[in-house]
Amino acid sequence: MKDWFKSGSPWIWMTAGAVSISLISVIGLLAMIAWRGLSYFWPADIYQFDVRQGDTQQVVIGEIYDREQVPSKRLLNMGVDLKGHQGETVERILVKTGNREYVDLDFRWILQTDINATEKTPGIAVFERSRNGNFYGFVEQVIKDGQPVDNEQLTVLIERAVDLADKAVDLQNGEIGSINYRLERIRLEQKSLELKGELTAEIIAQFEAEKEQLKEQYSVYEKELFQLRKALDRDEVVVRDMRDKLVTLRIADVLDVHFPNDMSTLDKTGRFFVQLGKFVTDDPREANTEGGVFPAIFGTVFMVMLMAVIVTPFGVIAAIYLHEYAAKNAVTKVIRIAVINLAGVPSIVYGVFGLGFFVYMAGGSIDQLFYPEALPNPTFGTPGVIWSALTLAILTLPVVIVSTEEGMSRIPSSLRQGSLALGATKAETLWRIIIPMASPAIMTGLILAVARAAGEVAPLMLVGVVKMAPTLPIDGNFPFVHVDRKFMHLGFHIYDVGFQSPNVEAARPLVYATAFLLVTVIIALNITAIGIRNHLREKYKSLEH
Amino acid sequence: MISLSPEVAKINNAISPLELTPEQTALEMKELNLYYGKKQALYNIDMKIPKGKVTAFIGPSGCGKSTLLRCINRMNDLVDICRVEGQILLEGKNIYDKDVDVASLRQNVGMVFQRPNPFPKSIYENVVYGLRIQGVNDKRRLDEIVETSLRKAALWEEVKDRLNDSAFGLSGGQQQRLVIARAIAIEPKVLLLDEPTSALDPISTLTIEELINDLKETYTVVIVTHNMQQAARVSNYAAFMFMGELIEYSDTNQLFTTPTKKKTEDYITGRYG
Repeated sequence: MKDWFKSGSPWIWMTAGAVSISLISVIGLLAMIAWRGLSYFWPADIYQFDVRQGDTQQVVIGEIYDREQVPSKRLLNMGVDLKGHQGETVERILVKTGNREYVDLDFRWILQTDINATEKTPGIAVFERSRNGNFYGFVEQVIKDGQPVDNEQLTVLIERAVDLADKAVDLQNGEIGSINYRLERIRLEQKSLELKGELTAEIIAQFEAEKEQLKEQYSVYEKELFQLRKALDRDEVVVRDMRDKLVTLRIADVLDVHFPNDMSTLDKTGRFFVQLGKFVTDDPREANTEGGVFPAIFGTVFMVMLMAVIVTPFGVIAAIYLHEYAAKNAVTKVIRIAVINLAGVPSIVYGVFGLGFFVYMAGGSIDQLFYPEALPNPTFGTPGVIWSALTLAILTLPVVIVSTEEGMSRIPSSLRQGSLALGATKAETLWRIIIPMASPAIMTGLILAVARAAGEVAPLMLVGVVKMAPTLPIDGNFPFVHVDRKFMHLGFHIYDVGFQSPNVEAARPLVYATAFLLVTVIIALNITAIGIRNHLREKYKSLEH
Repeated sequence: MISLSPEVAKINNAISPLELTPEQTALEMKELNLYYGKKQALYNIDMKIPKGKVTAFIGPSGCGKSTLLRCINRMNDLVDICRVEGQILLEGKNIYDKDVDVASLRQNVGMVFQRPNPFPKSIYENVVYGLRIQGVNDKRRLDEIVETSLRKAALWEEVKDRLNDSAFGLSGGQQQRLVIARAIAIEPKVLLLDEPTSALDPISTLTIEELINDLKETYTVVIVTHNMQQAARVSNYAAFMFMGELIEYSDTNQLFTTPTKKKTEDYITGRYG
């Protein structure tokens, strides 16, 4: 035993064990998030349950969402009839029944002892709707323009409706949105001239003419929109639900239909990827509990890139001063310690600072100076993506400074001297030798900064993130990039969907799916940065003596 | 004892370094004192360095020979605590005057360091580095200078087909010659070599020594070396330094055959150092 200790093996076991535990927790975390998030997209089988509770007998149709074991004793004490069930625990299952507008709860717990029969009935259709969530039932009749048609026509009609709806949305967000945007700009321009006292009758007339023209265009598009909507209203589908009643659904509300019990594994796999694609590319619906998360992905990536563009030059310049020009004395040391400690300040504090300094002070002043015509509506004096990026830039500044400085001190002094000996000034040496050679270290700083910034949520809640942003920060209206706009963020989306949602059960898988996506986005950003860094490292590999 | 090649011996029989006329002098140091903080590293150095010759500084480690060399292109300015008193005249002008631009001084006084220090760039870009700093961007002129500098540094034949490859792909000896080419590309008046072969193998050393012999046709060369054979082989004049003082300075032949000072004799006969 003593020899074993002396040999150093316990030490190796201990260190290896620590590494294994870290590795297992990371992999376990990723695997759990991936599993729970991705299984949401797999088309689950729909069961028809024959449920008998006391004297009432009813049919429940839905997918199994969750299972848990409940102690029998507790249920018996509560006066639940277990129908002579023996054993310590009873299983109960959570069933998602959909049909939200016709039943009290679209999720319900059912005791296994209450179930007489479970059947995976073929022919059950799952309708994904733009309102009120899923609808489960049997398709009875498809009605096209008032006339019953073959049930096979259903998917064709739905596709048509989805196309029309897409067109309507495009029209609304594109052409009509653009007209509204231009009208608003004309109003602001007029106000601005008025404030300057340069508004003449001539200019007013010109503005009026422009407005008139835009309104004319608007009425054309409006008519088009109404036509589209009317065309959408044409078809219906009659469905028999679990209460055995016939319900008529507007096809305009249906986004998609599938028959999971009749699908092969291959069909299901195909649908899995389609659903996954929709999740990544669609806008959210119904208070974020349904639909995709595209605006949140876009917002996260856009904000992080904006932050990177801001933080890199600032951090590098600050590091150059500290490392190259600042005198090596106590003051510099204090500054350096202060910079390092900035990294330890809780992020919400940065949020408060960002709100007070950037949004109210800087943004407010910008509004006073450049956008007086829009007041009292703030333009920059309100949370927005630029303020979020700036706040996170300050938050991550220490990381960039520290790693840049480290990179610069690793450059052999012989190269610096070699450059100076050739008649280069200090600044020329910096530009031509030091900064290029420090670029891998700068990238390392940026990687750490991006990883930190992409995961921050707390400060963003104060300086720019919202639950639902109607427009992206980049669109087709001049000046195309709108850094004053509020944006959506995956991290905040997780919080919002998971904890602020009206329908917690429905939102839970979305929380995992969004979390998995956030991790994926951060990893993708990091891998890109690491790729660039490795390329630079290879290029500026310094001499190995 | 160290034998001198007859050729070197013949040249060295010329003039004593103390009797150089101003036309023959490239550099002149007057009462040069140097301090690192409170510690004095050089004491009252007075010497003239002849134009178009190779002058060697020899002496035991820590005697101040590298420090003296670094005074000539003001590399010591990089050391915060370093202070220099006295004068170094380059063509009659004190390089420590306030109005001297250090960068243009270093364009006139090139330097090669102990270890090869090529930049992480291509061979071509390494050679033209100093020219680009001076703002020369004419491609044809650069090409021309690259070829002549590399030829002078006896490296052209080895690298002419891979000028755009990284300089790190060269061997140590080639890198050192590249660094010499880089230094002579900007046509300095004086070339300082700080133990240029101490990190190299014997064959590379030989090549560099031959190169130094060629370089003195065009440049004034000052070399610091640990290796007395090397000093004897390549230099016309030699200065022996000890504890920050210039002990003896004469033509190489005389210094190695008939040293006048006891310390010099002790050193070259291998009593210490």
